[in-house]
Amino acid sequence: MNNPVKSLRQTSERYKAMDGKDRRGFIVDTVLNNAIYIILIVFVIFTYTRNPNIVSGSSIINIISLTAANLPMALGIGGCIVLTGTDLSAGRTVGLTAAISATLLQSLTTTNKFYDNLGEVPLLLVLLIALLVGGLVGLVNGFFVARFQLHPFIVTLATQLIVYGICLLYYMSHDNNGQSISGLSDTYKNAITGSVISKLTGGALVIPNYVIYAVIVLLIMWFIWNKTTFGKNMFAVGSNAEAANVSGVNVFFTTMMVHTLAGITYGYTGFIEAARIGSNTANTGLNYESDAIAACVIGGVSFVGGTGTIGGVVLGVFLLRIIFVGLNFLSVSGNMQYIIKGAIILLACSIDMRKYLTRK
Amino acid sequence: MAESDVLLEMKDISKSFPGVKALDHAQLTVHRGTVHALMGENGAGKSTLMKCLFGIYYKDEGSVLLEGKEVNFKSSKEAMENGVAMVHQELNQALKRSVMDNLWLGRYPLTGGIMVNEKKMLEDTNAIFEELKIDVDPHQKMSELPVSKRQMVEIAKAVSYNSKIIVFDEPTSSLTEQEVEHLFWIIDMLRDRGCGIIYISHKMAEILRISDEVTVMRDGQWIATKPAAELDNNALIKLMVGRELSNQFPPKTNKPGEVLLEVEGLTGQYNQLKDVSFNARKGEIVGLAGLDGSGRTETLESIFGIATRHSGTIKLEGKEVSNKNSRQSLKAGFALLTEERRATGIFGIRDIKDNTVISSLKRHLKHGMWLSEASMRKDTQWGIDTLKTKTPSQETKIRALSGGNQQKVIFARWLLTDPKVLLLDEPTRGIDVGAKYEIYQLIIDQANAGTTVVMVSSEMAELLGVCDRIIVMSGGRVAGEVNASTTTQEEILTLAAKYV
Amino acid sequence: MKKILALILALAMVFCLAACGGSSDDGGSSSSGTSSGSSTSEAESSTGSDSEDEGGDSGEATEGGDVDYSDLNVGIFWYSFSDTFLSTVRASLDDLLDEAGITYTDYDGNGSQTTQNESITTALTNGCNLLLVNLVESGSEDAAQSIIEEAAGYGVNVIFYNRTIEADGNEGALLNAYDNVGFLGTDAPEAGHIQGQMIGEYLVANYDSLDLNGDGVISYAMMKGQEGNAEAIYRTQYGVEDANAVLVEAGYPELEYFDSSNTALYQVDANGAWSASAATEFMQTNLSQYSEANGNMIELVICNNDDMAAGVVTALQAAGYNNGEGTTTIPVFGVDATDTAKELIANGYMTGTVSQSNTGYAYGLKFMIDQLASGATPTEAAAALAEDTSDYTFTLAEDIACKVYMAYSSYTGE
Repeated sequence: MNNPVKSLRQTSERYKAMDGKDRRGFIVDTVLNNAIYIILIVFVIFTYTRNPNIVSGSSIINIISLTAANLPMALGIGGCIVLTGTDLSAGRTVGLTAAISATLLQSLTTTNKFYDNLGEVPLLLVLLIALLVGGLVGLVNGFFVARFQLHPFIVTLATQLIVYGICLLYYMSHDNNGQSISGLSDTYKNAITGSVISKLTGGALVIPNYVIYAVIVLLIMWFIWNKTTFGKNMFAVGSNAEAANVSGVNVFFTTMMVHTLAGITYGYTGFIEAARIGSNTANTGLNYESDAIAACVIGGVSFVGGTGTIGGVVLGVFLLRIIFVGLNFLSVSGNMQYIIKGAIILLACSIDMRKYLTRK
Repeated sequence: MAESDVLLEMKDISKSFPGVKALDHAQLTVHRGTVHALMGENGAGKSTLMKCLFGIYYKDEGSVLLEGKEVNFKSSKEAMENGVAMVHQELNQALKRSVMDNLWLGRYPLTGGIMVNEKKMLEDTNAIFEELKIDVDPHQKMSELPVSKRQMVEIAKAVSYNSKIIVFDEPTSSLTEQEVEHLFWIIDMLRDRGCGIIYISHKMAEILRISDEVTVMRDGQWIATKPAAELDNNALIKLMVGRELSNQFPPKTNKPGEVLLEVEGLTGQYNQLKDVSFNARKGEIVGLAGLDGSGRTETLESIFGIATRHSGTIKLEGKEVSNKNSRQSLKAGFALLTEERRATGIFGIRDIKDNTVISSLKRHLKHGMWLSEASMRKDTQWGIDTLKTKTPSQETKIRALSGGNQQKVIFARWLLTDPKVLLLDEPTRGIDVGAKYEIYQLIIDQANAGTTVVMVSSEMAELLGVCDRIIVMSGGRVAGEVNASTTTQEEILTLAAKYV
Repeated sequence: MKKILALILALAMVFCLAACGGSSDDGGSSSSGTSSGSSTSEAESSTGSDSEDEGGDSGEATEGGDVDYSDLNVGIFWYSFSDTFLSTVRASLDDLLDEAGITYTDYDGNGSQTTQNESITTALTNGCNLLLVNLVESGSEDAAQSIIEEAAGYGVNVIFYNRTIEADGNEGALLNAYDNVGFLGTDAPEAGHIQGQMIGEYLVANYDSLDLNGDGVISYAMMKGQEGNAEAIYRTQYGVEDANAVLVEAGYPELEYFDSSNTALYQVDANGAWSASAATEFMQTNLSQYSEANGNMIELVICNNDDMAAGVVTALQAAGYNNGEGTTTIPVFGVDATDTAKELIANGYMTGTVSQSNTGYAYGLKFMIDQLASGATPTEAAAALAEDTSDYTFTLAEDIACKVYMAYSSYTGE
């Protein structure tokens, strides 16, 4: 991290040294390079003028909560995109792990128990199972991508179908007949959607616990991306797999682990999502990956490969959530929401891609 | 020469990039029926000047006159249609398509305005190939051809446009001596037809031999334009670097010790290597010579374990090493600097630091957990200082550097792994004279420090100037071994043709 | 060699899976025939029915007793395996068919009409001689018509169920035009009407305690399951209109949508999946700006189905509502009466839902299969079902002889 004040001063000195034409170019570049922030700020200001509630405390907490719910998965998919890949199996994997978590953690008194004679299962054990199942899906993805050099698009398209099939079978099993799974135990719900911060602050800040967990996941992922050999290797493989191989990077292992790690984040998301939504069906998680992928790309994790930052992913998820909340605060109809969201994704990505185009 | 003979005139061309003045009132005048060499160190502005000519960059100032008329090409296609063609150093071809398709790409002869006339295309292709004596099957897929043949196709393409001006950018960097002769024959023919040839190269011997006039550039500025006959090596170097380079090669100070590396019966699984055996001593620089496709690169790749071996053993200090993949080789103390820098060397989108430390991350691991930023910065700075890499910062993306500086970063990457055996594949390819000397010095320094260096090069002079011993390869086999201090270019060439 | 072995193993695995999958769906015992209604055995119906079919004599035997199913091969096409309510219908129906030893196959339309059409074509070419179709594009006459005509080409009857096949105001256009078609479903608007009626009555009974800000008007939120779906449209419309009718009659003002600038008057699942997660996120976002503290709290939530209602309850609970004793309960209404909803209602977290019986559906469908297998036409089968006097109430639609409605009922707890 450079000293921001110093770098700002340097920038201003450079600016003063420029002639008129260069200055104009410099301004255009600066605007475009920070376009996502500008879009964000303009959007928030616009929404604010129409509906000031967007910056109220509860609204901000809501936006943060929604970001926290979507972030871990985006961080997982981000790794796949760094490798120039993608992951379409994310949403369905969330669906499966949510189903598993929910069925294992139903309240003992609920009338629709999936496992009739199951007692209380420790939360951490269920989390571990969810992570394992998610990780396993990721491992399978990674194996086929790395071993057979298949494009992740096709591999995850296939596993997505398989996972969905398993999920449907799971819901039909144990005489559940496809019923939604709810009646979760209070311990589980409190652990996820309860608010420790609220207790600590005397009810002033009702920030649900899963926000705290998301921050922990964020820190872990930041550490992995920036501070570990695996992280460096991941960027190297994404940037130039051939060169990485020559440089002694285990491309096979790295590819596999990136997908496995992504799978683990889906398992985590499933565990959280089951309690966050409270009622789970085979459709839980549907299309989650599209928002996650969009968020990554908006945040500068480019399909060019080998580039992207954790901060960017956070920003991308945040932007998408702000748009969702803002459009609702603006009472924009569902039809228009599609169009506006699509346009913003396109705009943000085009501006981002500018950095990778050859300049004339 | 008469004014009417002027084919192309570029006057007062300037071009700025943010923070850099790439061209500063550069100029170039090419006459009909001459070969005009454009020289200068990397970053001198030769490529930028050509890109301005072809409309790949927009010039800020200046004018371009083609046969007296001002032109302003918007794209290389427009330039080509007006008789100005370029044979690029970095070949941009549609590799999955046939030779013929590539040749006529964007201007397929049509039947009835819709259907591609394959027959005419084939006839025209054959006619051009015959004229230029190029031996390539028009139906072959581009990717199946070696780089040298692909370059010939590119030349044929330029000729097929009936170009008045043809620019050759480093055309011989991937050619063997024979192929270079062929190329010169083509250039001579084009000159006799009245074409103007712009020839960009680092190889002074070539330039002095083939060109009529030489323009030297330095730091984006025009330095001098002189008849080639008035110049020699030293004069050229002086113009290019702005100082005298007393010698092309640093003094050889390394002293070979006992045998360190023994390669026995190396045979490839998927390549033509057959029973390659040789050894190298501690502190020795061994050259691998041979024609293109003789198996030099494959030998290095097999030793390093990125090409699959069918059989053969590799011994280091008398002990066999398995070297099944790059990780094992790295651990055993091998390092490989590859030939295709862009394809298998650099991580273009990552910064200098990441590019430097990627192979030696273990050194920076604290408590087996996280990487120390400070330690990585220290090593990166060591690399920059030791190799005199010119870069604004450690955070600069490597693709923003010139070829020579990129090569230095990769060199640093490998030196940081403390290799016992340094395998170098064309270490000075596409690097300017000044930087070359530094790379040679580095190689010799490494040998001095006790590292065994095995080096592949297509530049005979380089092998003779730097190596102790030269293994000559031919058709995937070892054709012979010569002492670098006593052999001649002729002897090497004879050996190189042994199994062809 | 290793690779070949791996390949063989992989192939073996795929075939095994296919075999297992096949056998688990295959409740039947015999090979398929190609024509429908060819059986000459006695037509059967359940106790008390007195159908007078051409294809057989009416009898007094118990259901499914003597019908010869050996030539029957039923294809059952579901709009989506992931739909909670329909999954329970599927389970009930599968049980009945397995019990009777009928050959059948369930197909998943996976929310795509194209997928469903392709499955139907495949099934027909494969010897399927009775189609039960849960149309994906609810209310799409073109989709339904192409299926009917394709089936007619094979001489096969089609019974549509659950999702309407005709557009609003155009009822009978298809059902009256073809001989090989029947319909068993609920009257699409009815669920909305029942929901609206139930809401109205509940509000009238508890008006003052529900009007949290005391402004005399109840503000409501509406969760729509999917755009362009007939059921969703009717439910969204009548859930409010009928409630208003009851309110006005009792002298109260009409409901008011909580967000005065939203002219659509509903929030819709962008994925069209009627999902709990969409409802949770909408509600969570709504609650961040509408609260008791601001005096603009949402006082009623109407949902198109129970999944969405459950999602809304989750969001309300996170905000400190609907947690039973000691907390304010915002009334939430759904449709379907899923087990989840029933439990929420039992606990007092949710207020009401509209029940359609999954076993009733399965019973009705099996009944019609029996009729058709005995040689009845779809119209005759429908007539017989309407006169059936089992636990479930079936009625014939006005002017459409082959269309049977199964009654909805409101559900506010046992």
